[in-house]
Amino acid sequence: MVSKFSAPLERTARLLDLVPYISSHQGVSLKELAKLFKVDESQMTSDLTTLWMCGLPGYTPLELMDLNFESGFVTIHNAETLSKPRAITFEEGVALVLGLDLLRSAISPDRSDLLERIELLSQRLAGLIKLPSALSATSVVNQEVSGAIADALKSRMGLQITYHSLYRDEISTRIIFPIEIVESEGQLYLSSYCYTASDFREFRIDRIQGAAVQVVQREIPKKSVQQSRYTCTIKVLTPTRAVAERFKQSELQVNTAFDFETYSFQWIERSIMASGRALSLQSPPDVRNSIAVMAQTMLDRYKAR
Amino acid sequence: MSRKSERLVNLTIALLATKRYLTKTEIFTSIEGYEGTPETKERMFERDKDDLRSLGIDIEVGSFDPLFNDEAGYKIKQEKYQFELGDISSIEVSLLSLAAQAWQEASFGDVAQKALLKLRSIGIPSDELSIPATVHKLNDGGQDLSVITKAIAQSQRLAFAYLDSSLSVKMRSVVPIALSTRNSFWYLSGIDQEIQAIRTFRVDRISGSIAASDGPRDFETPPGFDSSKTLSESPTHDFAMIDVRVGKASSLRTLAISTQSVGEWDQITIPILNLDSLSSMVLWHGPDAFVQEPAELRDLVVEHLIALVENHG
Repeated sequence: MVSKFSAPLERTARLLDLVPYISSHQGVSLKELAKLFKVDESQMTSDLTTLWMCGLPGYTPLELMDLNFESGFVTIHNAETLSKPRAITFEEGVALVLGLDLLRSAISPDRSDLLERIELLSQRLAGLIKLPSALSATSVVNQEVSGAIADALKSRMGLQITYHSLYRDEISTRIIFPIEIVESEGQLYLSSYCYTASDFREFRIDRIQGAAVQVVQREIPKKSVQQSRYTCTIKVLTPTRAVAERFKQSELQVNTAFDFETYSFQWIERSIMASGRALSLQSPPDVRNSIAVMAQTMLDRYKAR
Repeated sequence: MSRKSERLVNLTIALLATKRYLTKTEIFTSIEGYEGTPETKERMFERDKDDLRSLGIDIEVGSFDPLFNDEAGYKIKQEKYQFELGDISSIEVSLLSLAAQAWQEASFGDVAQKALLKLRSIGIPSDELSIPATVHKLNDGGQDLSVITKAIAQSQRLAFAYLDSSLSVKMRSVVPIALSTRNSFWYLSGIDQEIQAIRTFRVDRISGSIAASDGPRDFETPPGFDSSKTLSESPTHDFAMIDVRVGKASSLRTLAISTQSVGEWDQITIPILNLDSLSSMVLWHGPDAFVQEPAELRDLVVEHLIALVENHG
């Protein structure tokens, strides 16, 4: 991220924030300070040297801050004026209020003690930065599921999950060995080895409806079976935002076609159905045909009513 | 560069430590770093004041003795300078630390990190592991989030280009009243200035940058507005009745407010937020979902089915 402030201002802010941190963490190592404040060690040494020259007017040893850092560990004395952390900025407050809101949705409803504290903290913070209470963040992930995932990853255990597959429209129970949590296009996935499918799979965490830690044999194959990809050709009849977002197309033009790669014909079939009159699948021909048949069957049912 | 930071720190210390207002003359003679001609010092001081203010440090201007027309003086109030959270316990520090960690690399990641350092500097140990919760990462909403939150606080007017459902880009002018995240998207709610009604926009459908300007005078959030309900509860009283096959159509079922079993099928009732997206969801489920009511929704589904048969025949 590009810094909002010029270098000397950025540094001034850091100097002001260093004093309360060192005051409350006497003996902290210079190395750790550098890491926390995201500068290299020589910059940190130079910062501490500058602070050492600062203090109350008079600037004799009586008024100057007393810093010690030659040993690689930092202590500070005579710095009472700056020893309290600075007020939080508007953005820092917003970040904390939204974070607290997310935290609220991750805590079990029977911990009303914690939920009340979160509410109070959130109000106090909003008051400090004069923020109207209009920010909210919720987590869609079931907190028992996320707890079990965290446990399994930490202890290298397996999981039994109930999973909703969107394009198969099925809820299945699977035994998996979770490997890691990965993010893709704003969604979190649990990358795993699935014993049920005997292959590697990625499960969207918000579609895992239940999870429990389970003992599994840890021998998993090294290599994934290559999943085959299919190419479809799709013709645009009416450009809509829903189509653009579903097929990740930035531009859509009437009567032009685009190619789309998919792992699942089921997904493509459902997606074309859901797009209704906006699209026409050109190829593969058998999927095209099955869409026509499915639509006709449904139509007959509506007409028979 | 080092001299400037040093001077600013010394100025902050002196203005914080003083009980009364310090005049410029006192500042120039006592604080280290002010050198040169009187004009140079004056310029330096003006710039320093602006710089400290931009760091969020509030410098008060006051008079030394209100009875005499004295030279103006300056000081920084300790209570405004410092992070005043009142009495705070170890559990509360832990909660706040977890809150800050939710951002990781997302929009407010850097500022959350700075807030976390300030929290730790209060000197109360935290024990995040004592909190029974796993916090998920908040999604990145880009730089727009800070523009939007600032506009909410100051009731500014936001102008942006928005991609509507027919893929055309229209300019919108909105006074924002809420920001929320759900299903990993960020949503902005506000009063659409053209229609003077509350509308909700998905932040990633805004194209280009958002321009903020002064909002209408005396703007007030509509009474009874609850940001947590803008996305989950509809203002509508229209409901659809849909038959879904047993064991199928889970994503339609999650929207249902009631379910009734009728043999091989379940009849579910769903609030209608948007006719187009509901008909699209019904179509997605193919022969596993069948619309009973309302006629409007059924007609729309049938219309799409006719087109699908024609376009794939």
